[in-house]
Parts: sequence; C-alpha cells; structure tokens
Amino acid sequence: MALAGVMVTGAVVGLGMLPALGADAGHAAQVAQEAAHGAASHGGADHGHAAVSVFSLKQIAHSYLTAYMFCLSLCVGSLFLTLAHHLFDAGWSASIRRVTETLASLLFPWMLILALPIIVFAWTGNLHAWFRIDPASDHALDVKKVLFNPMAFTVMVPVLITLLGLLARQIRTWSIAQDKDGAAHWTSKSRKLAAGGIFFFAFGVTLLCFLLMKSLQHQFFSTMYGVYYFAGSVWTTLITLYLLTMWLSQPGRPLEKVYFKRQQQDLGVLFFAFTVFYSYIHFSQYFLIWNAAIPEETFWYVRREVGSWKWVGMTILFGHFFVPFLILLNQDIKRNMAVMIPVGAWAWLMQYVDMTYNVMPVLHPDGLKLTLWDPIFWLGMAAVLARLFWSDYRKNPAYPLKDPRLQEAIIHHEVPAPGASAAH
Amino acid sequence: MSSNRSKPHGLLAEFHTAADIFEAAIRCRDAGFTKWDVYTPFPIHGMDEAMGLRKSPVGWFTFCGGFTGFFTGMTMIWYMNKFDYPLVVGGKPLFTPLFAFPVSYEMTILLSAFGTLFGMFFLNQLPKFYNPLFKNERFKKSTDDRFFICIEATDPKFGTDATRTFLTEKCHAAVVELVED
Repeated sequence: MALAGVMVTGAVVGLGMLPALGADAGHAAQVAQEAAHGAASHGGADHGHAAVSVFSLKQIAHSYLTAYMFCLSLCVGSLFLTLAHHLFDAGWSASIRRVTETLASLLFPWMLILALPIIVFAWTGNLHAWFRIDPASDHALDVKKVLFNPMAFTVMVPVLITLLGLLARQIRTWSIAQDKDGAAHWTSKSRKLAAGGIFFFAFGVTLLCFLLMKSLQHQFFSTMYGVYYFAGSVWTTLITLYLLTMWLSQPGRPLEKVYFKRQQQDLGVLFFAFTVFYSYIHFSQYFLIWNAAIPEETFWYVRREVGSWKWVGMTILFGHFFVPFLILLNQDIKRNMAVMIPVGAWAWLMQYVDMTYNVMPVLHPDGLKLTLWDPIFWLGMAAVLARLFWSDYRKNPAYPLKDPRLQEAIIHHEVPAPGASAAH
Repeated sequence: MSSNRSKPHGLLAEFHTAADIFEAAIRCRDAGFTKWDVYTPFPIHGMDEAMGLRKSPVGWFTFCGGFTGFFTGMTMIWYMNKFDYPLVVGGKPLFTPLFAFPVSYEMTILLSAFGTLFGMFFLNQLPKFYNPLFKNERFKKSTDDRFFICIEATDPKFGTDATRTFLTEKCHAAVVELVED
C-alpha cells in the first residue's frame, strides 16, 4: 500500500535506532550535558554546529517533520472551515462542505499513523533535543517540563490528533446521515458540537504545534505561535480548496450543478483575507520580539538571520505576503484561472518554506540546506494523503445532498447575461 | 404632478417584491437604457449584474489613498527620526521599516478609507441637495416596503410614451411621471 512508502523510511528507520536507546546511559547523560552547555553558551542553540550528513537519521527526521507539519496544516485548516461553516450557519459553503469534512477526517486515523514515526524519532534522539536533556541542568526546560517531557509528548500528540480527528469524523457522520433523511436536527447537532469544538480546536492545534514544532527550540517563548501556525494552515487550505472545488465543478464532475462562480469568488476573497491575516500575525510575532529585545525570545529570529536563512525569511515576507497580496487586490483576478492556478502552486511552496523556516534552522544553523528527503517526504506524503482523500471522498455523495442550506448555495445569485432574459 | 410647463425628469416604476424588480432590472438592462437606477429598502444580491453595472472604479481611489498613506507614514518617520532630529530610542536603529510599519499601516487604512469615501462622492457627484424624486410621496416607501426603478428623461432611449408602455406592459409596474421643478 502507498502509505507504507512514507512509513517505511519513517518508522522502520527510526525503529532501527531503538536498540541504541538506553544502551549507554552514560552516553545519554553526556549528550544531555552537552546540549545544556550549548543552550547556555549560545543563548538557545540546541545542537552542535557539526555538519549533518544527508543520510543521517536527524536529517530524515527533520525533513519528515517538515512534511508532516505541512500536511497537518491542510487537515486542521479543513477542520476549521467545517467548524466555521456550522458556527456561522453559512449557506454559500454548503455545497463544498463535504470536501473540507473529508480532508479533516484524514486526521484520524491517517495523520495519527503518520505521526508515529515522529514520536519514534524523538525518542531516539533525532528530533527534539529536550528528550535527552535533564531538566535539572537546563532551567529553560525545567520550567516547561510539565509539557515538554517525553511521556507528555508521547501521550498528548496522539491523543490530540485523535480527538481532533474524531471531532471531524463525528460532524461528517452526521452530515452523511442527513443525506439519507434530510432532517434538520443533524445540522443543529453539528452546530452545537462545533460551538464547543472550536475551543478544543484552538487549544488542540496550539498544543500540537507547540509540541511538534515550537519545542524544537524549547527555550523559545511566543504566545502567537499557535495562531501563526493556524493562520498559515487556513491560508493553504483555502487555496487548496479553491483549486480542488474548481476542478470538481468542471462539466461532468460531481459539483457541477451546486458550485458556481460566486462561491469561487468568495473562496478567493477568504484566501485574500487570510493572506493579510497570516502576515499580520507573523509580523506581530516578529515585531513584538524585536521591540522587546529579550534574549529568550530574540535568539529564535537571530538564528534565522544567519547565512541564507535571512533570505528564506525575506522569501516568506515577500512570497507569503507582498506578492500574493498585490496580485489578489484586484477583484476579477480571483476568478482568473491563469493567475489562480500558479498562485495556488506558489502558496503550497510558501507554506512549505514557512515550515522549513520553523524546523530546519535547528538542524542546519548556517543556512538553508535542501536534501532529496525534503521533496520526497513533502510530495510523497501529500500524494499518499491525496489518494486516501480521494478514495474516501468517492465513497459518499460529493456534497451534502439534503442539507437545509444547500438551496441557498445553489441559488447563489446567478444572473442571466444580457439578451438571455428576453425569451421569458 | 405633471404640468405642461415643467421639464420631464423621468418615469418612476413601482414594484412590490424584490423578485419583480430584479426581473424588471434585467429587462431595462437588456432594453439598453443607460440613465436609470434602482431604489430598494435593502440590498438585493446580484442586482449589480442584473442592472449590467460595470465594476466600480472606486477601488482605484482606495488603492491610490492606501499607497499614499503607506509611503507618507514611512517618509514621515524617516524624516523625523533619522533626518530632522536623530534620536536613539531603546538602542534601536534611527530608522527601520519595522517600527515605522504599524504607523504606516494605520496611515494606509486611513487614507484608503478617505480615498474610498471621497472617491465614491466624486464619482456619484455628491453632495447633491435636490432630486425630483424627493417630491414624490410614494417614493418615500422605498425605505420601507416598495421597490422603484427610475428611468431618466436624459436617457437617449427615453421616450415618454414608449418607455411608459415598456414599464407597464413588459415590467408590470405602476408608473408615474416625474418632473423637474
């Protein structure tokens, strides 16, 4: 099965390291001391500056985590859009809701399974430095050890992904049940679940990206980090949804009769809004840290101004914000496929660059270093999930057949062109 | 209402439902009228397309306003902090776009809003203190439960009788004539 392709390099390679784990307690203590020393002398450096081999487990683990965070962003973004649809009692998005429901349902079990190698990598000392650091020797870790300890990580990451996935699945189950009887109470149930679910979503996604990504440099503080990940996630999800629904509504495809230009425009507008929201959040995080100039926070960005990382940061500033912002300012562009398809591909690249910017400076402090693992894991994992999405999506009706709001989505203000009304 | 000495302003057609006026707007558009407008108590989705309105050029005023605002903010802070009265605050550089950004961003929003508002005024030739529509008693219901189309006499396709026939027979509306006073 295709999933195994990604899993093999992840889990099997990771498990191969397991015998080494705990074999030499003295060595582990030494590693911990070195790491603690590094943290003290470099103001938050977490690995040594030794060059990392392309085929080292560390490289594989970090490339895998980057790809995973990218794919996770599409799932949590879809879950958010599903929850938001119910919370706002929206009409226009009813016909594309099955797509977001199905994407979000990938969280369980698939994203859970794909998360397991990360836990193995962490335990074998290839990801988060604090797995091998004694909190007693590292004050920054000591104050955060409630969250950042191997057991909490091992329990919380799978539990959070599972609960988010079950939330997505529950809403989809009710949505599919409504396809049969058309009863309105399924909608009210989903709305009630979404009302509580959005709080769990906010805490869950924040904790997940704290544990998986932010804690790679456990000395860092940022209360905006969760929102930052969320904003980028929804941004990427919206353009993915935009292109996916556009493809699904071509003549002869399932959404042909329920999805129209007006909804496409609305998705484009939302994508534009999140372009601004993302940059607002990321700028705020940077600006507050820059302005306060507290070493516990600034080291994170100082690290990312070394060597070519500075230019990666500039790529995010211009490529993630200015370029899409200026392109999307124009109203009509949001329906222009010749522009939107390249913008979509660009957005995927930018989200991946953003994840790389978060994960990789830990491994390659001197500058960006791309390896073959990066595209393999990124596109491989995305392809595997796309395949799983498609087989899951095709099992059920392509849109909520009897949703009470579907009518609103369908009569979404289509006006006959000049000359077409005379026959009436 | 109508008097022989007065210049005709146009014809006012009254409708009872949003659907009726929507249909009628499409007919007026297809009949090729250019100087006409729709008055409704609330916004009707899709009316722009039904009336065949082209995209509003107000966005260009907004853009110019925002652009001016952004660079005014940047230049102002550069001039004050680095050029006119250099002052080190908190060990920061004398000028960087970073700390100038929040102010420039607010200036962008402010001047975008001005551009939008005054651009809209300019394009609509506002303020305008008088319109013959105000004299029509029934027209007051356009803020309550009635929908109106007014085709003005200055429209090249306007002919009092032909247009009246068009509105009553094709659009099924009650029609009154308005005069300039």
